[in-house]
Amino acid sequence: MLFNSGIFALFFAAFLPLYLLCRRHVTARNLLLILASYVFYGWWDPRFLILVAVSTAVDYVAALGAAGKPVRTVDLLKSGAFLLAVTLASLAFAAADIWLLVPVGAGMLVLAAVIRLILRTDGPARNKYWLLLSLTTNLGILAFFKYCNFFVGSIVAVLTDLGIDAHAQRFSIILPVGLSFYTFQAISRTIDSYQRRFEPQYSIVNYAAFHAFFPQLVAGPIERAGHLMPQFESVRPFDGRLLASGALLFLWGLYQKIVIADNVARIADSLFTAPGGQSGGATLAGVLAFAVQIYCDFCGYSNMARGLARILGFDLMINFNLPYFARTPAEFWQRWHISLSRWLRDYLYISLGGNRGGRMKMYRNLMITMLLGGLWHGASWTFVAWGGFHGAIQVAYRALGIDTRIEGSRFASASGFTIQVASWFVTMTLVCIGWILFRAHTFDDAVAILRNLFATTGYTTAQFSGLWGYTAPLMLIEGFQRVSGRPEILMVGPFLLRYTLTVILVLTLFAFSVHGSHEFIYFDF
Amino acid sequence: MLFRRITLGILLLLYTLVLAEAYFRVFDPQALMPRYITSTPWGVRGNIPNARYWNHTPEVDVEYRINNQGLRADRSIPLHKPPGTCRVAVFGDSFFFGIELQLPETFEGQLERRLREAGFRAEVLNFSVGGFGTAEMLQNFTGFGQQFEPDVVIFSWDDSDVQDNVRSGLFRLNDGQLQPADSKYLPGVKTSDWLMRFRLYRAIADHSEFYSFIREKAGLLIKRQIWKSGKSSPNSAPVEQTNIGGEAAEEESNAEKKRAALELSSALLLRAHDVVSAQGADFYVVEIPYKLSRVRVRPSVNALSSDVQSHIKVVGTSAALNKAARPDLKLYFETGQGHLTPVGVGILVDETMKKLHSSPQLAACAAPPLQ
Repeated sequence: MLFNSGIFALFFAAFLPLYLLCRRHVTARNLLLILASYVFYGWWDPRFLILVAVSTAVDYVAALGAAGKPVRTVDLLKSGAFLLAVTLASLAFAAADIWLLVPVGAGMLVLAAVIRLILRTDGPARNKYWLLLSLTTNLGILAFFKYCNFFVGSIVAVLTDLGIDAHAQRFSIILPVGLSFYTFQAISRTIDSYQRRFEPQYSIVNYAAFHAFFPQLVAGPIERAGHLMPQFESVRPFDGRLLASGALLFLWGLYQKIVIADNVARIADSLFTAPGGQSGGATLAGVLAFAVQIYCDFCGYSNMARGLARILGFDLMINFNLPYFARTPAEFWQRWHISLSRWLRDYLYISLGGNRGGRMKMYRNLMITMLLGGLWHGASWTFVAWGGFHGAIQVAYRALGIDTRIEGSRFASASGFTIQVASWFVTMTLVCIGWILFRAHTFDDAVAILRNLFATTGYTTAQFSGLWGYTAPLMLIEGFQRVSGRPEILMVGPFLLRYTLTVILVLTLFAFSVHGSHEFIYFDF
Repeated sequence: MLFRRITLGILLLLYTLVLAEAYFRVFDPQALMPRYITSTPWGVRGNIPNARYWNHTPEVDVEYRINNQGLRADRSIPLHKPPGTCRVAVFGDSFFFGIELQLPETFEGQLERRLREAGFRAEVLNFSVGGFGTAEMLQNFTGFGQQFEPDVVIFSWDDSDVQDNVRSGLFRLNDGQLQPADSKYLPGVKTSDWLMRFRLYRAIADHSEFYSFIREKAGLLIKRQIWKSGKSSPNSAPVEQTNIGGEAAEEESNAEKKRAALELSSALLLRAHDVVSAQGADFYVVEIPYKLSRVRVRPSVNALSSDVQSHIKVVGTSAALNKAARPDLKLYFETGQGHLTPVGVGILVDETMKKLHSSPQLAACAAPPLQ
């Protein structure tokens, strides 16, 4: 179910009154949230609810065990019963796939055997085994559904290059929506439990509601248990102010998605579907259009998720903080997809050693983190190259001390202003070059686009007018947000001004939106 | 307190309406395209007799005059044709009604002039109504148009007819046989008739860009929903839908719907041919292609069944339009509702004339060319 679809509007309109009826009773509210979240996700394909349930059931007990808490038989039974109930319910809507009961049953038996083995161990080792169970399960699901064909294809390609005749069957595997998001969120909770940064509780209802919370289930933000989980254990507020600000945030996200992203997508698509032979102007317009598209697509989704959660009284973290105002690549990553950047920093970069152990190790850790971050975005070498490119430019900035020099320059002075503007321009140029790698289907396409960028043809006003028309209001608003430091400008000023802006926003949504519900780019990640 | 709140609410509503009207006039000007449509005794929509209204777009300002019989004409048409004169009756949707065109620029206006120049004592009558599909054109002919003793009957054909024919529900295919399904199709006419009684509504419909935007969007949305829902099945047996398989099943279901809808349209055209021929008139179908860009159009007749292509005189126009298309030439309007310009219509008329020259019915009223 897409936020920008009519069916979601109906779904939410039916859900909200029920939610308000039971919001003061935590367990009833969370049961309703589980049901709603599973309907929301299962609308796409009910069979994949089983994966959500597997991740929930395993991490429910794994986090308890990793935190050193006793995992009782009743907890194991609750976990198993939850998985079984979701499996049967989802297969009730997919009767043709009843055979899935066999692998699910077999998986449960294997899990039971592994858990039995873990329970035989003692002390800190047992905590580690619980953590390993969570990592193996979540990363195993991710590896199979997202990367199986990529790994097999890459191995075959390498063997073929070495002169070895290798063939492999390409599996017909559907990538479940939001898999990378909910598995990472589950892993982070178990790691935090293991590292004693978070204390898991025994309620599977509360945990399942947190794990599948529909506003952020399919495309984040990847929340930390320490921030979001306690909200599922308490009564959440609901009032007119939250409703208004949540609705406005949702509308702003919707505007970013269906007015800006979906419209400029046409300019980007015309470049990336046929990159050869494009003029310099068309190439630049296409690259800039994609930079705007991916930002508004993903930031729009995050804002809609935050807006919906706020209406329900939940607070989700800010996922984008004006990333296109960044002056260095490192600052860009502090502002872009913040929940993933922090996840990679806390659980990968720091685990690899972080800044400790000298400059070379730090550079190595940075490169590994960015390469894997690239791979997280998609099973393709172009994504890995994109991650590697961002890793390399961050290493170069650090090695040359550019980060420190830019941070040291003062905006007020003329030279400082020049440095800040120039560094912003260079960073944005690098980010856009990165987007070419990200969006291009092949490396050949990326090279062709980079080559065409230097062509001097096609720099006409008409080439950029469409892009400019959709981007100018965004730039104005984000400029105001940057200068004023107030991220939610629709909530600022006297009533009539706010009302007028809101009416204009709604009218623009109707007047300039692209027909039909277009999927979000990050659904594929 | 309550009075103050109500007053504030009304003021806010008025402010919102004014703001919305100003928004569309500044940021997204709309074509003002009022609909003067009512019901007819033969069960389909018709133009409101004696109506006079205007259509404003950034490209054109057009006046529409409907005669006392509901035809777009500046005079009343006698049922019986004058001796020695042939009649060409044109049935179509907004393209042939002549939306965005002055009366002499319409297909009918240009065709009549060209026929007279070619030496035919002919008059061309415009029976078109915006939004019509083939099924409604057929009903309009049998219920109304045939009384005017036409010698030649022309039906328009464009892509939108495929869905229109299904949506109207006037005919269905049962085991490949075309059967009447309903005697009436009057979508929204009751509401429209009621609203048109009010001068304020007519003023809003004639002049408000905000209203025009809402009406067009709502109309499109309703049409799409009807098409999507199972209600608009072209067959008596609805297409089976599975709840699994997501997009693939939906695509398959849509392809099946489209195939069945094309079958229905082909059957309707063949039926129209038979009915018109039984009256002793010649029957033609004129293609209105779909505009892809300023320099390219897509044919619309290719999808019709081979029976239609072999039995009916189809005036294909896409090749001529593609040949004439140039980046600096508008064949379709670009800021209103995208109908054909006078130049585009002229090309359709050229192609139609090539076929009409060989019409045995028209030969009877051929006269020496005017000097």
